[in-house]
Amino acid sequence: MKYLFLFIFSISFFIGTAQENEESNKIEFNGFVRNYMGVFTQSPNDFSIFQNTVNLEIKQQNDKIGFYANPYLYHYANKPIEWRLREMYVDFFTNKMDIRIGKQQIIWGQADGVFITDIVTPKDLSEFLLRDFNEIRTGINAVKANYYFNDENSLELVWIPQFTSTKPPGPGSNWYFTLPFPVKPTFHLEKKNIPLRLENGEFFARYSLNNSWIDLQLMGGYTWDDDPALHMMRTKDTMTGVLKIDITPEHHRMALFGGSFSTDVAGFILRGESAYYLDKYFQNPFVKEAVVQKDYLNYVVGLDKTIGDWRLSAQFIQKRILDYDEDIFFNEVENLATLLVSKSMFREKLRVEWFTYFGITHIDAFSRLRAFYMPYDQVSIEMGTNLFVNSEFDLKPGDVPGLFGRYDKNDMIYTRVKYSF
Amino acid sequence: MNTKILKIGLLALISLFFNDAIFAQTAKEIAYKVYNRKTPDSGQSDMTMTLINKKGKERVRSLHQFFIDEGDTEKKIMFFKSPADVKNTSFMNWTYDDTSEDDDQWLFLPALKKVKRISNSSKDNEFMGSDFTYEDMERRSPEKDNHKLLREETLNGDDCWVMEVTPKEEEQYSKKIGWISKEKEIPVKVEFYDEDGDLLKVLNIQDFEHIDGYWIATKQLMENVQKNHKTTIELTHLKINIGLQSSKFTQRAMQKGL
Repeated sequence: MKYLFLFIFSISFFIGTAQENEESNKIEFNGFVRNYMGVFTQSPNDFSIFQNTVNLEIKQQNDKIGFYANPYLYHYANKPIEWRLREMYVDFFTNKMDIRIGKQQIIWGQADGVFITDIVTPKDLSEFLLRDFNEIRTGINAVKANYYFNDENSLELVWIPQFTSTKPPGPGSNWYFTLPFPVKPTFHLEKKNIPLRLENGEFFARYSLNNSWIDLQLMGGYTWDDDPALHMMRTKDTMTGVLKIDITPEHHRMALFGGSFSTDVAGFILRGESAYYLDKYFQNPFVKEAVVQKDYLNYVVGLDKTIGDWRLSAQFIQKRILDYDEDIFFNEVENLATLLVSKSMFREKLRVEWFTYFGITHIDAFSRLRAFYMPYDQVSIEMGTNLFVNSEFDLKPGDVPGLFGRYDKNDMIYTRVKYSF
Repeated sequence: MNTKILKIGLLALISLFFNDAIFAQTAKEIAYKVYNRKTPDSGQSDMTMTLINKKGKERVRSLHQFFIDEGDTEKKIMFFKSPADVKNTSFMNWTYDDTSEDDDQWLFLPALKKVKRISNSSKDNEFMGSDFTYEDMERRSPEKDNHKLLREETLNGDDCWVMEVTPKEEEQYSKKIGWISKEKEIPVKVEFYDEDGDLLKVLNIQDFEHIDGYWIATKQLMENVQKNHKTTIELTHLKINIGLQSSKFTQRAMQKGL
């Protein structure tokens, strides 16, 4: 990866020097350096994170072609340095069509903080949902083509030759979570990865209508399920009678369709987004291999409003498994709500923000209260808290706590000091 | 005697009424003259906004803007160039001649990689933390105000009409007093009064350019006399009537950037 950086720098420097007098063709270097420290509030007050980041963005673009690269570095106090490339792609622009080829993030949908139709790009959840959203999303190798019929109507097609799954928190992480098993299972990972073959590509399509009245998107996808189904085999040792569980995680093909919209209603922005999954796999411990296929609906409705310096936003999210079997490991219906309250002060030198996920089904919550102070241009000092609330104190063995309540012991305070250039 | 006094009183009242009516008519005409003056069909410029606090410390925001007048709709798109943390953010605004129709606004944040329709900012909100509100930067229909011609005087070499403008409905300013250049048909100075009738802000146009027959204010200073901070807005690399197409004012253009 070090050589990749050197290569990018060398190329960029060369082109930048050669064309420095041409404003439109100038290489742009931007990015930020950031220190991020977080401490768990519960004794013994371990550091939840101690991270230094360098994020570099290199861009060059003219009317016909463009280039973008986003290398970054995470330096931790107790782990090796991570050098990565979030995005690196080339753009081709014509009058009616834009084509982007390379490693890229593709973001769809109208929802904030939840992923409904925004499933094209996988996520890195190794720090749960605490990273900024552009850092949660993993770049994928893809070819994306946008065709513009006119100023209002367009069609977007995406081909992803190689499936990349979402990265969950690993064992040893404070965010690691696993389903409860009666005995420690043995995992067989031979089916975990999807071979890089032409037939294994993912395909997405989206039609967009954007005018003064509405922003509307309709989408469909033929993809791999990001969540691997855990195919389970239970055997009893005939000699000892000890139960043995073998689990083979496997990603399955899945089709989905959906849409999203956003419009102004009496000074409010009304947003909606929905995705319908066909034959998604769910865990049911009482059937063969402990998996069943069901259709699944995920949708959100949201309202935004700006009043003076205040910004308010609320969303209601529902996930529903259709033709539900009582023994499926997850609830038939999961309801969630989010609330955002934000206020800018002192000529935008200070912004205070409160964003909360409320798990309505499990009565749990994840609440982020933070303040951004900008003493100078380019410098941002962020101080905040991440609070997890769990009201399900009477969980029985085998019960699964809510998505947020399970991290009840991970409350933390943190600071992030960021210099942008 | 009583009849005579009554007649004189009546005549005085009628003359006063007509006098006011004539002035009011003139004031309204001036307001419309300013509102309907010839403006470019399209254009672009760099815009540098300098926020100066009471200690004289400066913060600078720069952007590039494009605009187009499509008859019943004015469209504007802004690409932020600095400070670095907002670079490549873009903002698009569509304003409609039909005053019953609210503006439409979209924001593209490069970190989020998507365009969001945003709720119409309150017109009395500060624009990017400056001393200008969104409304200060818009063309305002004379139908929303009552106008009164106070006097005529010369300001910085410009022969001006001095007008008092009061909103018909309660708004952020209780009144404005504007110095309208007779030659340029644009305000060269405006005083803004708060809800209590106290002077709040003073706008001075510090520089003009005369391009292709259009007078354009290229440097403005807005001073908040109550909080003692100020903001300058300077336009450079100004080009007008450059034949911009409506395709420049789309979400595709916002994402593509400059």
